[in-house]
Amino acid sequence: MFYRLSGIRHTSYPAARQLWPIAADRWQVGLVTALALAAPVLVSDLYLGSYVLPWLIWTAAALSLSLLMGLGGQLHFGFAAVMAIGAYSSIHLTRAGVPFEFALLGGGVAAAVIGTAFGAAALRVKGLYLVMATLAMQYLVDWVITNVPAISGGAQATLRTPEVSFLLLPLESLDARYYVALLWTVLMTLFFLNVKRTSFGRALAAIRDKDFAAAVIGVDPFRTKLMAFMTASFAGGVSGAILAFCYYGAVTPEQFGFNVSIQLVAMVLVGGLGSVIGGYFGAGFVLLVPIVLTNLIAGLAGAGWISVSQNLAAHLPLIFYGGMIIGFLLFEPLGLAKIYDNIRKYFLVWPFRHSGS
Amino acid sequence: MAYFIELLVNGALVGLMYALAALGFVLIYKSAGVPNLAQGALVMMAAYLVWYLGSLGLPIWIAIAVGAALMFGFGLLVERLLLRRMVGQPVIMVVMLTLGMEILLRGLIPGVFGAAPKPLDLGIGLAPVIVADVFMNRAYLIGGLVAVLLIAASMLFFRTRLGTKLRAVSDDHVASWAVGLSVERAIGLSWGIAGIAAVGAGVLWGSVQGVDWTLSTLLFPAIAVVILGGVDSIKGVLVGGLAVGILGSVIPGYLDAMVGGSTRDVVTSVIILLTILVRPHGIFGREDIERI
Amino acid sequence: MTILKRIGRPAALALGLAGAAGGVAAQDKEPIKFGLLQDFTAVYTFVTGEYNQGQQDYLTLVNEEGGIDGHMFEAIVRDTGNEPQRGIEAYNRAREEGAILFDFLSTPVSRGLVDQVMKDEVVLITPLHGRGDAAAGETFPFVFPVMATYWSQAAVLADHIKSTGGLEGKKVALVHIDSPFGREPMPVLEGIAEAENFEVRGFPYPSPGNEQSATWSEVRRYRPDVVFIWGAGGGQSVSVQQAIRNGIDPASIHSVVWMAETDARNVGADAMTGVKRFEAVATGTETPIVSRIVEKVVEPGKSAGDAANVGSSYYNIGVATMAVAVEAARLALESEGAPLDGPKLKAGFEMIENFDAEGMMPPITITPEDHQGGGYGRVAQWNGSAWEPVSDWTTAYPEIVQEEIEMNAAEYAGGN
Repeated sequence: MFYRLSGIRHTSYPAARQLWPIAADRWQVGLVTALALAAPVLVSDLYLGSYVLPWLIWTAAALSLSLLMGLGGQLHFGFAAVMAIGAYSSIHLTRAGVPFEFALLGGGVAAAVIGTAFGAAALRVKGLYLVMATLAMQYLVDWVITNVPAISGGAQATLRTPEVSFLLLPLESLDARYYVALLWTVLMTLFFLNVKRTSFGRALAAIRDKDFAAAVIGVDPFRTKLMAFMTASFAGGVSGAILAFCYYGAVTPEQFGFNVSIQLVAMVLVGGLGSVIGGYFGAGFVLLVPIVLTNLIAGLAGAGWISVSQNLAAHLPLIFYGGMIIGFLLFEPLGLAKIYDNIRKYFLVWPFRHSGS
Repeated sequence: MAYFIELLVNGALVGLMYALAALGFVLIYKSAGVPNLAQGALVMMAAYLVWYLGSLGLPIWIAIAVGAALMFGFGLLVERLLLRRMVGQPVIMVVMLTLGMEILLRGLIPGVFGAAPKPLDLGIGLAPVIVADVFMNRAYLIGGLVAVLLIAASMLFFRTRLGTKLRAVSDDHVASWAVGLSVERAIGLSWGIAGIAAVGAGVLWGSVQGVDWTLSTLLFPAIAVVILGGVDSIKGVLVGGLAVGILGSVIPGYLDAMVGGSTRDVVTSVIILLTILVRPHGIFGREDIERI
Repeated sequence: MTILKRIGRPAALALGLAGAAGGVAAQDKEPIKFGLLQDFTAVYTFVTGEYNQGQQDYLTLVNEEGGIDGHMFEAIVRDTGNEPQRGIEAYNRAREEGAILFDFLSTPVSRGLVDQVMKDEVVLITPLHGRGDAAAGETFPFVFPVMATYWSQAAVLADHIKSTGGLEGKKVALVHIDSPFGREPMPVLEGIAEAENFEVRGFPYPSPGNEQSATWSEVRRYRPDVVFIWGAGGGQSVSVQQAIRNGIDPASIHSVVWMAETDARNVGADAMTGVKRFEAVATGTETPIVSRIVEKVVEPGKSAGDAANVGSSYYNIGVATMAVAVEAARLALESEGAPLDGPKLKAGFEMIENFDAEGMMPPITITPEDHQGGGYGRVAQWNGSAWEPVSDWTTAYPEIVQEEIEMNAAEYAGGN
């Protein structure tokens, strides 16, 4: 009823290939886009700056990682380090006088080069060993940043982003920063939606499912994996640069530590491996649930509804957060995207229980 | 020269204490093929438990024994409630599940028992042990001995009747089922033993640095030990521990002054990377280890 | 987004613990809100519990005694887990709720928010953490370190050594955690070394500091006369243990401010006898303010935490920070009038003169140029059961410290 499927017939290849063949889906996408464009008017600065903006940027980062983990099946536990490379190089580039637009690309390229170098070293192995190798990369990059003051920004280890403008739009106001982040996230989303349908995307999926079977049918596993590391690292680097310029305004090494890498992996897994909408859900969940829980518990404790010690109250969000990750893996291993998909499928044939075929 | 020997000896002892933290990881991987990234959190939990039992007035040795029993039970419980449902899932799911457990425990345990560091006194004392101009750390000396004993005990255990069953299970799940071994029970048991190993690591490290959540960060050196030694080899834990400890002590001992920063984490990271590049299955690991 | 708003609502109800305790006189006056958005669950757990309890208990005490001219104080307390993005959210929310003073007790969160705070014109206090160069009030108009920076701490310790055994020709080892915080005192110590003609060398150990044996073998080989230990949390007790195991006299160990009763229990109370630390605030329950807290807050059961923590080192530091903040609010109300806002409170801070929290801390004077309050402190020694002051409140080598502050502040003003 909501998703009318009758009358949808593809009479040309372009029509059959379009991203959203069902009208209801197109309406939803249009509505969400309109809401996103109007967000600076609709929501207060508090929610725009502390919820929507970081959510968008982390979605772009999660999508970058999902390209590697979801499409390519390559685990990466050092993705925060990749973002750090992008953030630090873009800031140093703008300081050296490079325009912001090129500095963003430069950050991406730097991240791609270093990320691919580590990827190439680690590509002999997979699974657990890839986890460990990328973990080692995280520690090495962290060490270089904290131990080289020229990179980290002197004795105080804080590097402030210079004032820049993007395509003549100064990144001074929150709204401007929001729109730049939105643009990047939309670009990432479109890229991700389309890459699945390219030869590269299909090669990646083939590698993920069985690498020697892919090799037999003529896909070069090493080259494809390397390409995946490069693309994902480039996107991650740009996301890191956007994060620094549009959100943090000043970077410190802690913003890209090991726990951030874990959060990114959690975003991809909780959202759903290789799913675009899962990237949005996962980033929102991992980023915002601890914040919402902290406020909720503080509110409840303040209103006297729960009486626990301050120490336990502060740890409750961590407990719930860990518990929810476990719960998702046990009860819905395919993530939030699968839950969304189930609901959508239910409404596809609503009010009937099953489709005819 | 005395300096070199001192770095070597203390590094070896520290490495053995890392090996203790790594032992639980290997036990579980060996039997179940599950990388348990919550082993650090188990170590923290064990230390908190022993501290709590001690603060109730129990003598420390009894507290350790009771703590070991409790951690054994907790290991069984984790396997029964969480891991058994993950059989057949991709490795990334299990990795994330154990990380979720680590987050949960890191909230729960300090939340309930208090986040401020707690003292855990084993009565070891602070006087150094001096042998021919070499200062040895008394706590590490005892820790290293305990580690060797526990690792030796695990090796012997795998020679007993029960241990032979465990070995069979680790070799092939289906074949073990076919000859009537309970794979579930064997895997549960290995989680229980990993819980006991966590008590050893938790008590020793807790007495050195105090008991708080940072004990769970022992996971990183433990992983280096495991990767170098081979993820399914108990002998590998011993050798990997010694190697990681010695390299992580001797190299920074000479390099730090030149670099002007602490290089131990770099050494550890490079050990992991090189092992994976040159010999991914580690020194003693089985080559067919990839289970994907 | 609307869902978020709905979920956020109950949180907006969030009350400080202090508010409920307010007297009748306050009802027509808006409470003054402080945002204590700190790290209860990650890197700073060793201090936050006690520190924050001290802060809340002092605000409760002020409210119990009728507030300042009828104005009550309210604490907005949140955990940030040392994560910048949670700190930013908590800061923006607390600001919307009307908080005009913030304390993050987290170096990364403080550093990340310095620019925002100055843009929003609210007060950020960074006692014993954050940017040391924030002492330069003209570059950082809204940031107040209030207590001695790490540079001043190193200077006070060095001065104490000079006056007790002399510094000339000595060998000083700075054993520190390998992080920007650990390296921070080095330039000041080098400056003093040049002036006093002694030798100083740094020995980093890897974070988080639970294993330092290789570093201490090297320290012993250096044969230092004086050892500075610069770390925090569990790493501190490991440092002391390792020093003693390597035959270093406990009396020659000098610690940064992060060394408390807990560390002494970890090392062993007897073994640690003789170790010295920098002290910014007096410990114990004898001072008038703390004894009033015991009487009016803790005994009626209104304390924000375990009564056993009252009077501990970190608890008292928390009390002192709020004593300074409330004093600033009092001065601001007197001269600028209600309702208070960021710029008025800032002016209040800069009017503080010879304030010593009834003997709890050194008399500090904050001026528009100096937000550190002079960099006073003293040295205390562990006597087997308590910290015993072994020097008077003092400040030392102000030129060398000032030079470092100005150099860093100039770098900040120049874009970094």
